[in-house]
Amino acid sequence: MGSACSRKRGQLVHEDDLYSARFSKSGSFKWLLHTLPRSNSADVHRRAQGPALGRCPSLVELCVAKVREDMNSYSDFSLLPRDLSQQIFNELVECGGLTEASLGAFRDCDLQDICLGEYPGVTDVWMEVVASQGQSLLSVDISCSDVTDSGLSLLKDCSSMQSLACDYCDQISEHGLKTLSGFLNLTSLSIKKCAAVTAEGAKAFANLVNLVNLDLERCPKIHGGLVHLKGLRKLEKLNLRYCNCITDSDMKYLSDLTNLRELQLSSCKISDFGVSYLRGLHKLAHLNLEGCAVTAACLEVVSGLASLVLLNLSRCGICDEGCENLEGLVKLKALNLGFNHITDACLIHLKDLINLECLNLDSCKIGDEGLFHLKGLMQLKSLELSDTEVGSNGLRHLSGLRNLQSINLSFTLVTDIGLKKISGLSSLKSLNLDNRQITDTGLAALTSLTGLTHLDLFGARITDAGTNCFRFFKNLQSLEVCGGMITDAGVKNIKDLKALTLLNLSQNGNLTDKTLELISGLTALVSLNVSNSRVSNSGLHHLTPLQNLRSLSLESCPVTAAEIKKLRLAALPNLITVRPE
Amino acid sequence: MVGKGEAPAPRDPEEEEEEDTGGVVKLISAEGFEFVIDKKAAMVSNTLRNMLTSPGGFSETRQGEVRFPEISTHILEKICQYFYWSLHYSSGQETAEFPIEPEITLDLMMAANYLDT
Repeated sequence: MGSACSRKRGQLVHEDDLYSARFSKSGSFKWLLHTLPRSNSADVHRRAQGPALGRCPSLVELCVAKVREDMNSYSDFSLLPRDLSQQIFNELVECGGLTEASLGAFRDCDLQDICLGEYPGVTDVWMEVVASQGQSLLSVDISCSDVTDSGLSLLKDCSSMQSLACDYCDQISEHGLKTLSGFLNLTSLSIKKCAAVTAEGAKAFANLVNLVNLDLERCPKIHGGLVHLKGLRKLEKLNLRYCNCITDSDMKYLSDLTNLRELQLSSCKISDFGVSYLRGLHKLAHLNLEGCAVTAACLEVVSGLASLVLLNLSRCGICDEGCENLEGLVKLKALNLGFNHITDACLIHLKDLINLECLNLDSCKIGDEGLFHLKGLMQLKSLELSDTEVGSNGLRHLSGLRNLQSINLSFTLVTDIGLKKISGLSSLKSLNLDNRQITDTGLAALTSLTGLTHLDLFGARITDAGTNCFRFFKNLQSLEVCGGMITDAGVKNIKDLKALTLLNLSQNGNLTDKTLELISGLTALVSLNVSNSRVSNSGLHHLTPLQNLRSLSLESCPVTAAEIKKLRLAALPNLITVRPE
Repeated sequence: MVGKGEAPAPRDPEEEEEEDTGGVVKLISAEGFEFVIDKKAAMVSNTLRNMLTSPGGFSETRQGEVRFPEISTHILEKICQYFYWSLHYSSGQETAEFPIEPEITLDLMMAANYLDT
């Protein structure tokens, strides 16, 4: 019944995650590498259709595909020009056809790129062939592999390497990291979630003076290791998210990295004192302090970072006092102040940040008065007001924000009468009204918003009559209507929303198999939830046309896991998440 | 300022070459075997297109023939077949797969790479 109540999504929200819908596989999910399709659904679609419609495949492409088909009859590509063997290699990786045996054909091929990140079954044996590319090798990705120290050390002569990723490689030790110190041309290095990155292991980084990007996210034992970064003056991007052993004493080694443009420190154990070491980083454009134990006192230092474009202070201990320091950060385009103790008094300091495009005030103590100060932020595209005390009255201050594309009003005090004031925001694409006070009347005021692609009415009290409004929203890609009052008759107004990829109709206890029949034409659906309804085993066959479906939830329905499994095996090969299972 | 609709339509590059795609060209294999194909078909190859349309032209192309001392006859024949297959495919008349015999795949790929097709 976990999905029965209205809920807040994701406990920690990150800018880049917002744009990535990809299923992320981390070390603990290695077993999934063998079961998940390698490409996302869009790719699956593309592969099924061949090259883009209308474009004739080139003869080279046809030959590459032919080689892939007959891969067993090839044992050596080393006489092929490099660009061709590289194309064959990429094609095999892309379609999951590369094996330990077929890899051998690529020995000494002078390949430049070996991207085996998240590829199943990569071990030390594979690294011999990788290493045989010698000085040609420029980039390697062996993330999520079982490569050990000895496999990594085989790469030691590949000193041209510019880019290396070995995220979630849990077989690599402190000792193994020493191999890295020879890669003097490295500009990009990613070693996420690696327990080998310790004060000792990080010594290997000190040599890598050409590094521009360094990603050490989730390295749990990195405390004391940052001292080895202090000479890496070319560093522009440094990711230390979730390195929750990093403390103020580590921060001082970052103070001379004056080329840093992007610094991610969320969930590090740093305080205002630690932030003070960032004072001289004048090129810093992105600073993420989400979940750090800092207070508004650190804003004095932050206010000196005049290049800041993105500032994430979510879940810090920020109060109103000190927020006046935000006033000077006029280049800011994205500001996240969610889950802080700020009130309307803080928002007055934002009124001149006229370049703001994204503002997150989730769960802050702000209300109608505060929104007045946002009136002039004409560039705003995204405004997050979930779980605030904002009500219908405050929305009038937003009616001039013509560029607003996304607004979240879930769990606010907004009622039907307020919605008229946002009905003129014709740029809106995403609207969240997960809120019990919203009814059919409120929805009817919004039919002018024909550009909507995402509409969340999870807890709103929408009835079958209200669903008539959905025909104005032909572009909807995701729709959630879970207030409990929808019947099969209402679903008739959903069946023509052909762009839908996500549909959540759970908690509507009167829906029957007829609903599944009605939505069987929504072939773009990737995710479907009709939990807590009367959908039964005998209706499941209606889902057969939904070939893109990856997630199906029918919790607390009269269906059996066995029947769903039968359907999955017989007709829905892309279905990977199923409830009940 | 001139509105979008009023701007003079740029000349379609395809159109410009139209008068040039008439006629035939001769492709000569390593063994000296000659294939005479429509110029339009030869233009499927970017390499040949460049040769046939570059101002002044290569000496060979002025005479309407191109020699390929490194492409053997059976590969060049296959390539000519592809040119026509590609024309039909692009005009929607071809739906069948282009057949490639396993024993020539690598040689064909290298020649296709050279001809940028």
